[in-house]
Amino acid sequence: MSGGGPPRKRNFKIELFKHRVELDPKYAERTWKVLEHAIHEIYNHNASGLSFEELYRSAYNMVLHKYGEKLYDGLESTMTWRLKEISKSIEAAQGGLFLEELNTKWMDHNKALQMIRDILMYMDRTYVPQSRRTPVHELGLNLWRDHIIHSPMIHSRLLDTLLDLIHRERMGEMINRGLMRSITKMLMDLGAAVYQDDFEKPFLEVTASFYSGESQEFIECCDCGNYLKKSERRLNEEMERVSHYLDAGTEAKITSVVEKEMIANHMHRLVHMENSGLVNMLVDDKYDDLARMYNLFRRVSDGLSTIRDVMTSYLRETGKQLVTDPERLKDPVEFVQRLLNEKDKHDKIINVAFGNDKTFQNALNSSFEYFINLNNRSPEFISLYVDDKLRKGLKGATEEDVEVILDKVMMLFRYLQEKDVFEKYYKQHLAKRLLSGKTVSDDAERSMIVKLKTECGYQFTSKLEGMFTDMKTSQDTMIDFYAKKSEELGDGPTLDVHILTTGSWPTQPCPPCNLPTEILTICDKFRTYYLGTHNGRRLTWQTNMGTADIKATFGKGQKHELNVSTYQMCVLMLFNSTDGLTYKDIEQDTAIPASDLKRCLQSLACVKGKNVLRKEPMSKDISEDDTFYFNDKFTSKLVKVKIGTVVAQKESEPEKQETRQRVEEDRKPQIEAAIVRIMKSRRVLDHNSIVAEVTKQLQARFMPNPVVIKKRIESLIEREFLERDKADRKLYRYLA
Amino acid sequence: MLGKGEAPGHQTPAHLHKDDGDDDAPSGVVKLISAEGFEFVVDKKAAMVSNTLRNMLTSPGGFSETREGEVRFPEISTPILEKICQYFYWSLHYSSGKETSEFQIEPEITLELMMAANYLDT
Repeated sequence: MSGGGPPRKRNFKIELFKHRVELDPKYAERTWKVLEHAIHEIYNHNASGLSFEELYRSAYNMVLHKYGEKLYDGLESTMTWRLKEISKSIEAAQGGLFLEELNTKWMDHNKALQMIRDILMYMDRTYVPQSRRTPVHELGLNLWRDHIIHSPMIHSRLLDTLLDLIHRERMGEMINRGLMRSITKMLMDLGAAVYQDDFEKPFLEVTASFYSGESQEFIECCDCGNYLKKSERRLNEEMERVSHYLDAGTEAKITSVVEKEMIANHMHRLVHMENSGLVNMLVDDKYDDLARMYNLFRRVSDGLSTIRDVMTSYLRETGKQLVTDPERLKDPVEFVQRLLNEKDKHDKIINVAFGNDKTFQNALNSSFEYFINLNNRSPEFISLYVDDKLRKGLKGATEEDVEVILDKVMMLFRYLQEKDVFEKYYKQHLAKRLLSGKTVSDDAERSMIVKLKTECGYQFTSKLEGMFTDMKTSQDTMIDFYAKKSEELGDGPTLDVHILTTGSWPTQPCPPCNLPTEILTICDKFRTYYLGTHNGRRLTWQTNMGTADIKATFGKGQKHELNVSTYQMCVLMLFNSTDGLTYKDIEQDTAIPASDLKRCLQSLACVKGKNVLRKEPMSKDISEDDTFYFNDKFTSKLVKVKIGTVVAQKESEPEKQETRQRVEEDRKPQIEAAIVRIMKSRRVLDHNSIVAEVTKQLQARFMPNPVVIKKRIESLIEREFLERDKADRKLYRYLA
Repeated sequence: MLGKGEAPGHQTPAHLHKDDGDDDAPSGVVKLISAEGFEFVVDKKAAMVSNTLRNMLTSPGGFSETREGEVRFPEISTPILEKICQYFYWSLHYSSGKETSEFQIEPEITLELMMAANYLDT
């Protein structure tokens, strides 16, 4: 109680009052006897007759009269004596009662200790800090530790009992968890060191050997999935055990022991287990098992990388088989679809079982990148897949579906190293679609272009976009042409011209064939009209790319509308004036290149149900000695007959070579441009750095070959863009 | 600092602010008996301002004080004990912010009061 200030200011000292000390020489002894008696009574559960105030006052006076030390020592020896008694009674407890007895006595001691501390509070408050002795409560715990827990008769027995109980629980027995909880709590109360040294350490050792044995047994007789299930259960059991009756700090230690024994030590064996290992799980989409494996393995170091490595090599292996299987190469659409399915499958696994782990996604991506580029036809096939989808595959699909499919294709596209090859093919396929009017959805086409543009930049798609512009302009031009010239044209055939900007389209110069006179007339009119409105332009007819609708009347007077290519139209028109023609005649009259002519004749004469021509002799292939006749007996249920050209949808070997070559050719200026850009900013650079920089700049489109880069550098030196440094031949300088 | 303002009245502290005595936890009252046998009935909550009394009233094992609800102080005289009881209530109010004035102590009892304070760990 302080004067007037707040009650917390209390650190003043009380002077002793000499006059109050009525010194009876026996005083200390007498007072201590009272207290000693009280301590014994407390341990005997007999405290109700005692007066707290009296005991407190006695202790107070003893301390006040400088008998603190006597009081403290007396307390210590009295308590020690009591604890030795207690220790005897615990040692005497039989079998299962041992722990019970220990626990009961511990509770008693605790309670007594608290009462003793309360009555000796004044000593605790003044004498103990002054003379630097252990506070009463702690003293009581220390004495308990030294005389009970570390008593030779109890120490090992206690440990054995605890470990035995835990072992029995692991084997499925029910044990008294409450008692376990109290005992471990006691050890903790005695100090973390007591808990760790006298229980935790041996416990962890026993656990390690237990699980080392058990895991050995499991791995011999279980498949991977079951083993993982068992490990997971054990791990959960141990964690549960900790939460029920061990100290929370033990959890990390015990789980790491179990992880090491059950998982880390058998990791490789598990992953590679025959018929049930990781690869089998992947193949069979075992999401639960995979998720379990992921969650267990992530607990140990290198666990996830082990899974990842095995998964990667599996993906690469299967992917490699997929892209190099000659059977698969026959159907590009199917080929790409399989790639997509494979990707979807593993995406789902990573999503469902591996928690969308970024590192796994990266592993998946790099695997795909690896094997897709193993097959140099992948760019072509992916473009063919898009072609197929945009021609017919998307019919009836909603806008969202289309987007989904295109996004998936883009994902594959991203894996491609030779993006320029893809561009080349895509351009060809797009041109065919546009010119034949086969594209199903303009929106889908544009959406694809936008995607390519965001992926690769403006440059990549500018020509593709040019193609769309050409289509639009052509349409407008044709409307205008017919509006202005319709009276001149009369009843002749209708012409629909697509004006294609050279360069934007994958056209190849090809000699025009001889068009029938009817067509030639209107063509000439159009030419005059077009060149009249657009000065200084040149028109060339790409007869190899057009189509025609012609009406034909057959033997019994039935009329059909035939949808054919321009070449086929030219051939058919010849039969207006004659019934039979030899191959040579046709070739001469039309001037169609031989390979195209053969293909077009084949589709006119050899396809069942569409054979508007008859060939002699009958055979599957066209030879140069064949003769062709108009097939009077042609019948068809349909009024409109579409006669497709026998198209080699997939490129044939020579065409492939040719495209390849064109791609290589196109790369040259790009590489040169890159070199010049780099040298312009660096002025001087050594060879390897140039190669590295060029590769970096161009890898979004393709992987330039270092040999090619070297050749380009040489060519640039020849043309005096660069020179070799005079002193150091490895260095190049830029010549402005 | 001491003895400022008017001296406190002579009412029994137990009846001071009886209205807000049963706020929470330690419910009930306890009887404090001075050396001369005067009894002061105070709320347990107030008595527990003293750590000694707190221990006395909460100690397990059933000391006679806990059972009978009364504590004898053979060494504390009536005026001092009365002052102490007043202090208990003052302290309660002060710590809860209801009281801001100083606690007044008459100089003549200061010494004895402090002795008691030390004893009671207040």
